[in-house]
Amino acid sequence: MSGPPVMRKEGQRGSFIPPFLAFLVSFFGPGIGHILAGAFGRGLLLFASFATIIGLQLMRINEIARRQILFSDKILKTYQLEPMLAGVAILTLLLWLWIAIDAYRVAKRRTRGSNMLFGLVLLLFFGMGWQIGQIDLYQFGTEVTKAGPRLMQIMWPWERAMSREEQIISASTPVQVPCTDTLPAVPEEVSGEPYLSIEPQCGLLSEQDGTPGTSAVISGNSFLPNTETEIWWADPLNNEFRHRHEGEYLILTTDENGEFEFEIIMPYRLVPESATGAQKWTVQARQLGMEGDAALSKELLLVVSKMIETIFLGMMATLFGIILALPISFLAARNLMSANWFTLGIYFVVRTILNIVRSIEPLIWAVIAVAVVGLGPFAGIVALTLHSIAALGKLYSEAIESIDRGPIEAIHATGATWLQTVVYAVVPQIIPPFVSFTIYRWDINIRMSTIIGLVGGGGIGFLLIQWMRLLDFKAAGLAVWFIVITVTTLDFVSAEIRRRFV
Amino acid sequence: MLEIRNLTKIYDDGTVALRNVSFTVPDGEFLIVIGLSGSGKSTLLRCINRLIDPTEGEILWDGEDLALLKGAELRKARRRIGMIFQLFNLVNRSSVLTNVLAGRLGYTKSWHSLMNRFSTEDTEKAMFALERLGITDQAYKRADELSGGQQQRVGIARALMQEPEMILADEPVASLDPVLAHSILEHLEKLNQEEKITIICSLHYLDLVQRYSTSVIGLRDGEVVYQGTRAEIQAMTDGEFKEIYGEEAIRVGQDLIPGGEQ
Repeated sequence: MSGPPVMRKEGQRGSFIPPFLAFLVSFFGPGIGHILAGAFGRGLLLFASFATIIGLQLMRINEIARRQILFSDKILKTYQLEPMLAGVAILTLLLWLWIAIDAYRVAKRRTRGSNMLFGLVLLLFFGMGWQIGQIDLYQFGTEVTKAGPRLMQIMWPWERAMSREEQIISASTPVQVPCTDTLPAVPEEVSGEPYLSIEPQCGLLSEQDGTPGTSAVISGNSFLPNTETEIWWADPLNNEFRHRHEGEYLILTTDENGEFEFEIIMPYRLVPESATGAQKWTVQARQLGMEGDAALSKELLLVVSKMIETIFLGMMATLFGIILALPISFLAARNLMSANWFTLGIYFVVRTILNIVRSIEPLIWAVIAVAVVGLGPFAGIVALTLHSIAALGKLYSEAIESIDRGPIEAIHATGATWLQTVVYAVVPQIIPPFVSFTIYRWDINIRMSTIIGLVGGGGIGFLLIQWMRLLDFKAAGLAVWFIVITVTTLDFVSAEIRRRFV
Repeated sequence: MLEIRNLTKIYDDGTVALRNVSFTVPDGEFLIVIGLSGSGKSTLLRCINRLIDPTEGEILWDGEDLALLKGAELRKARRRIGMIFQLFNLVNRSSVLTNVLAGRLGYTKSWHSLMNRFSTEDTEKAMFALERLGITDQAYKRADELSGGQQQRVGIARALMQEPEMILADEPVASLDPVLAHSILEHLEKLNQEEKITIICSLHYLDLVQRYSTSVIGLRDGEVVYQGTRAEIQAMTDGEFKEIYGEEAIRVGQDLIPGGEQ
């Protein structure tokens, strides 16, 4: 060490090793040179950062190139697939050198070391974050339009809110198997009523070995125009089955006059040996018409009833939360509980339990509650109540801790008991914050109750997740709309209550 | 008679607030405690009614050692000692009447008071106390709607509800202007003379000390540095007064110790 001791800054310890050695040590173990040079904090931070950055990169390399066996192959494959990691690797090399040089400087006491070094560390962390997060702005930019249709369905789901009674419109005609001299009577055609005919009116069914049956033309008229039409068969015992064409269910679409014509091959059907002679089969064309009166759809009714359940779920959870959090919060307030070691012990136990319960999400509590009380709103109430107790208990107790001690002292001095002091000096002071926190919690509970159903805790969340999984985005959109309407309304209501009360 | 013997208070952080304090207060005395902020005045007053537990020493009141009392006995002793505070210590959101009635808590059964139910007798007593202090018309207002002087009178009314034999007043006029200060101290003086209530009051102003005290003790760094009778305090000069307050007081002079104000 050549520099005079005067140059040392206050609070800095002297270096245990000469600058060059610090450089070498930090070269082989980044940060360790700093520690030996007396800069403990800086050294530890650099060592931990560097180790983490290297560790993260090794982890990513192993994940991305998990099929390669040789480490060198893994690296090559990774940098080929993810060029960004190569950039990160180059910056890491730079950081490595910089740390070594920094150790030299720190040991020499010329400078406290540049903080730009930590800028580079941060840059590397964000680079890794970008990579691990698999951020792909290009894909996002080019394919953002794909969100459109789905978004539109969710944003404007109202056609699912109404439904008309469904009506099956059908017409059928007999087909004789096989052909004989006498053919069954064809139904009479009534004008305006749907009518189906088949030509020829008799023939052979397809065989099991693949021999195709008779080819026949079916034609219909007076059906609903531009509507999908299914073709069904019925055997002599009236067992119905759908007609297949080239393996797929046949769906014909009527033209604007409600007519269609299509050539079919008579289907294969296993016929018992005993069935001999002419058999009367039936072919039928069916449409699904929305003929009846318009009514609220069953999805809408379901959403409304589940929304009501949701609101009450949140309300009950808030109520139970308040009732149970109130007494607990007094036990969790330090200023009330610091009288002696016993009460202080209770304080610490209660605080710890509250913190643990609060750190577990309501969704997880719901999963546990479902195991106890089964699926349904009660499980959601139990879950939200537990979380509310913990959250309100903490907020309440902090409100109690921040009250003015003066009145407590004064009431105490009158010879009042502990309970009287709480009622006369503490309670009047905590009513405004309590009201405020309670409304806040009510807000949260209503929001949470909309999603607690995701795990079977009752409420509208169950419908939401179900319809999402069925890709029925219009129905899900209905649920989303009602959630938004409810939450906005309650926001307004709670703001109003807060304005008047607090 | 109140007799303090070798009272010492050491706080948990090691601060010595009172060091071997001993003095006697005969019944009916108006004792004023003077001394700089931090000299131990507040600690001394709070040790007497045990809002603070003394580390050592005896607090003998009519032969009973208050320092040894616990639980119900302590509460019984406390209700005979009224206390008023520099910042009034009223419950701001409660009504004036409720604040005054709170003085009765030591005499009220717990379950009654929890329901905020006081006897008609107590309510009449509270109204009478407010009348004596001239603030009957404020009874149903919220405590924080009142001015400082009115709030301190509510504080005195609350203490009166205890039917106290002694009142501890911790800098009762430090937050008030000089005119109000006189009015508050006159109320205390009246109680002292008419009902023979012992008053122990901490103050900063020499003219107020000379006007109201029947005896004085001075504290500095937790030790009694001055004890004087009414006659002695009347003869006290500003210079002597400053001596109790120490060197610092001399440097800041009249700003710290205003004298001759009316």
